[in-house]
Amino acid sequence: MEDVVIAILRSGTPLVYVTLAGVIAQRAGVWHLGLEGLMITGACATIVGIVLTGSVVFALLVAVLICIAGSVLFWFVVEKLKANQIIAGLGLTGLGLGGTSLAIQSIFGSQAAISAPFGLPRLGAAFGAYGVLSVLVLVMPVVVFLCWVLLCRTRFGLRLAASGEHPFAARSVGVDPSAMRLAALVIGGALCALAGAELAAGSLQIFSQNMTAGRGFMGFAAVIFGAGHPLWATLAALFFAVVGALGIRAQLVFGDRVPHDLLLGLPYIATIFGVWLSARLRGGAKSATGGFGELRDS
Amino acid sequence: MSGQLGAIIRAVVFILLALAACGVIFEFAGYSAFQMFHSIVDGAFLRRNALEHALRWALPLFITATGVVISFRAGYFNIGAQGQFYVGAICAAFVAEWLRGYPGGVVIPLCFAAGMTGGALWALWPGLLRLRSGADEVITTLMGNFLAGLLLVYVTAGPLKDPSGSGQQASSRPLEAAYRISTSNGVSPTIIGIAILVGLAMWWLVNRTAFGVLSGLGGRNPTMVQWQGASTWKIGLASFLISGALAGLAGTIELMGPNGRLAGGFLPAHGFTAVLIALVAGLSITGAAIAAFFFGGLASAALYLPVMAGLPSAAIDIVNASIALFITARSRLVDTLTKAWRRPWKTS
Amino acid sequence: MRGNDDAILACRNVAVRYGDVTALDDVSIAFPRGMIHAVVGQNGAGKTTFARVVSGLVRPDQGAVEIGGKLIAGGNVNDARRAGVELVHQSFALPPSFTVAEAMQFGAAGGALYTRAALERRWQAHLDALDVKVSAGARIRTLTVEQQQAVEIARALVTDARLLILDEPTAVLSPEGAKKLFERVRRLKERGVTVLLILHKIREVLAIADTVSVLRGGRLIDGPLPASDIDADALASLIIGPSAKMLAGEDRAALTGAAAPRGAETETGPIAGPPVVSLRGVSTRPDADGPALQAVDFVVQPGEIVGIAGVEGNGQRTLVRAISSLADIAEGSLELAGRDVTNATLSQRRAAGLRVIPFERNVEGLSLTSPLWENWSAGQLLARPLLAAISPSALRRECKSALDAWDVRYAEVGQPAGSLSGGNAQKVILSREMDESGKLIIAAQPTRGLDIGATAFVWDALRKARDGGCGVIFVSSDLDEVFDLADRVVVMLSGRIVAEFRPPFDLTRVGAAMTGARA
Repeated sequence: MEDVVIAILRSGTPLVYVTLAGVIAQRAGVWHLGLEGLMITGACATIVGIVLTGSVVFALLVAVLICIAGSVLFWFVVEKLKANQIIAGLGLTGLGLGGTSLAIQSIFGSQAAISAPFGLPRLGAAFGAYGVLSVLVLVMPVVVFLCWVLLCRTRFGLRLAASGEHPFAARSVGVDPSAMRLAALVIGGALCALAGAELAAGSLQIFSQNMTAGRGFMGFAAVIFGAGHPLWATLAALFFAVVGALGIRAQLVFGDRVPHDLLLGLPYIATIFGVWLSARLRGGAKSATGGFGELRDS
Repeated sequence: MSGQLGAIIRAVVFILLALAACGVIFEFAGYSAFQMFHSIVDGAFLRRNALEHALRWALPLFITATGVVISFRAGYFNIGAQGQFYVGAICAAFVAEWLRGYPGGVVIPLCFAAGMTGGALWALWPGLLRLRSGADEVITTLMGNFLAGLLLVYVTAGPLKDPSGSGQQASSRPLEAAYRISTSNGVSPTIIGIAILVGLAMWWLVNRTAFGVLSGLGGRNPTMVQWQGASTWKIGLASFLISGALAGLAGTIELMGPNGRLAGGFLPAHGFTAVLIALVAGLSITGAAIAAFFFGGLASAALYLPVMAGLPSAAIDIVNASIALFITARSRLVDTLTKAWRRPWKTS
Repeated sequence: MRGNDDAILACRNVAVRYGDVTALDDVSIAFPRGMIHAVVGQNGAGKTTFARVVSGLVRPDQGAVEIGGKLIAGGNVNDARRAGVELVHQSFALPPSFTVAEAMQFGAAGGALYTRAALERRWQAHLDALDVKVSAGARIRTLTVEQQQAVEIARALVTDARLLILDEPTAVLSPEGAKKLFERVRRLKERGVTVLLILHKIREVLAIADTVSVLRGGRLIDGPLPASDIDADALASLIIGPSAKMLAGEDRAALTGAAAPRGAETETGPIAGPPVVSLRGVSTRPDADGPALQAVDFVVQPGEIVGIAGVEGNGQRTLVRAISSLADIAEGSLELAGRDVTNATLSQRRAAGLRVIPFERNVEGLSLTSPLWENWSAGQLLARPLLAAISPSALRRECKSALDAWDVRYAEVGQPAGSLSGGNAQKVILSREMDESGKLIIAAQPTRGLDIGATAFVWDALRKARDGGCGVIFVSSDLDEVFDLADRVVVMLSGRIVAEFRPPFDLTRVGAAMTGARA
């Protein structure tokens, strides 16, 4: 049982961080498909930082700063150049995937996976079997709670939500929706960096190309499934992680009778199910609306 | 058409902006931006036989991109071209494997039918989820891409595995030579013919049928066509199916033409590039033909870079991604600059 | 009064241009404090732009705004709010998913971090003090328009507002609701708040305002004039301008809200024979888009205009959607021109003679980014099979002759619909929806936002259709125009038809029916 919980926490923690980034962006009115790109950037920067400097703190700092820079670029394109959020988000993701690949090739001279000598600090023996988990796992519930307070119990959160839901209402009380979106994306960028750091340096201490494998998009789906609420979206992200862990578990049980490539697909199927269910329950939450230039009226 | 000229100028301006951003990234990554761009242009358009190489990539990309144009015009963000492309290729490969030994004249058409059906089916379920329940097609089609990628790994390592294959990458048994529609250079009269046929058919569908006008209106404003009495069902489902079938067709062509076999994760950027082509073309079929050639050149440069110039092929991914980041942008400045070419519509 | 140091608000040479359109042209005006000021003008006169400049939402291209003698930075809401200016929008600016307390909080100072209970206590007290009977925990989307307006006013008063601007506050209210609003405004005046009311009905101006100022075509025509010194007719002339003489007396009164028209029986009267539409006990399934219809019986004869009156959001939209097959009919039957169409699709109903001018011109009526000819031909293309070959050049030619016949001002049929003015855009819709084979025309808020010339054009078009034997359903929340145009008026309340009136119409009785009071 313990190993299942550990597996869920390991795969779930990065997903929760990236989901929170998506929640904050979505509340401010940005459907953020660039999460995947920021997350892999965070993963790459953390591992490369550790390898080159030997300092986890420094590596994390660099990862956070680079992801924030990427978020500001995304904000500029979406907000100032009025680009379509979906396409620009996919572009940012492409930049993250391609840029990390280019970066490791440039630094290490090959596209092979990079392993770091050590990763994030672990919880240690005091936590028994759970000691193998990184500190970011322990911090995760705190971050979730802080996000909930920020979004649901502060005036800042209300202004953020107003900027997303009714920008004109925000403007008419003197709130600049564009600035609120910048704030949301910057916070989200930092969270994506943490998600990437936990993914790459939490247990594996390895960076390889495309290692996020759609987790950023799953985080995006968790936002839809969780109706943009930090707690519900966190649960949705954990649900995806549980399905993934069950898939791995099933491999051990069924062995070769079920092809393991298809079991790897379970989290994606769970994601589709989540998006479908939330559409059934709450009506279609459409990411593909708004800011379409000539593709759409509004 | 002065309005179109303005749109073209705007697209060019933002592509240049995207390339400038790429240059900054290249410099940061420790490469000379000048050398990088020089090699890319060389690999894409200047080296010997460059046009033929560009065409080899452009033809399948064009076919998939016309499908993307159809679904984007109708307002459905089917970005699952990659998955539909894979599933199409897989279905065609199964048919070719089962019918091994039968004459090419029978097998080839059946493979095409299977490929297009497979692609259409892989677009059908996101389409149904979208039209029946309102499930966001962006996320479902994205997930469909990942699932199709896994499916491809599964069939190339399982049911269709090439027993003699060694290498790291699992791949399927090579197609019989009689079923190939081109050599590995990927340009043959058959493929060119199919691309032209698809182009003409889609141009006609977009510009000369009620479907074309109504799906365009409905894509920009679904509420308005509903109040006019349209059934969004028919138009929406047709859009999903057509775009899926065309991506499946492109997958079949890649299988039976240049590739000759399936390999896990082959052409991973095909779907995304097709989406880019459709957007750069401003969702026009004619524009897609031109844009496909440009991106076909970039795709051939992606192979050229590591081999001939010793530069990473990821540079091309970055160029494509930057273009995606900027292509839907609009700015007052550019609008003002292009205003001279646009007709003033102010009537008071 | 100009240049008065005691002015709460002084504007000097304010001008605002949107592209080539001049919304405000060199407006200089000063309003003394402690009074109720009205700013009037027809649609497009620049009233809303004026309000937005004063409240800092729009940065003027030229000129300066002073609040209480202090110059405020143009286009800066926070600066204007600090100076004590609050604006209540015509369509309220409250996020629908917020609770009332949250909607108050997000624009207020203090309490950056809160608990839900404390938040609701704080704002419930504020609401009670202003005598607004709404629970602070209620979601905005569940409130009626009158409640939303009261909340919006309460929101505007969370700070120490010295100048409260209400943009067309009566447009969404019943006559009874407007009376209550005016009482509230008078109480605010007693508390020392200066109130600026943007209005377009002369009757209301004369009932409430101390001064009146008139805008036309973005220019200040006159004001502030003491309201006691001016009569309705003179004010109407100022509002309409030189074209005043062209309009018939009743129309003129209805357009400016000088006096409610009584309406008159048409000379011909409705034509006998099968009704063009008849609803028998129609109830609709509840959906997110307004209240469901409940056992509605409703008949329109050929050759009559039936006005649908009611406070907005009482089922008028559902009625139109039910007839247009856009709302599910749960019970009852619907006949169009003698044919049962209860289960027919909209395109079948259109084939049977239904024509619809929808509520939202820019959303339901037109695709703003699509060319005019595509917008115009959508209806006829839908009548063909999807793969039917079309000739765009032929459609463009047909569109051109139709638009020319309707006197639309446009450059070419390929231009996007969004580049037209509101009046011309509405004419494009009219040219599409009003053809010879139409039997029932639904005109839903067809004059909303149009200037006087365009409004009169739409009225004439509907009257001509009626005289040609069409049945017309005319939905409007402006009682003056309903009375002027309709041969018969039904009142909707909470998804039911609660009353029916024939000329001569009585504003008080119809108004009472709108709020459910017995008159």
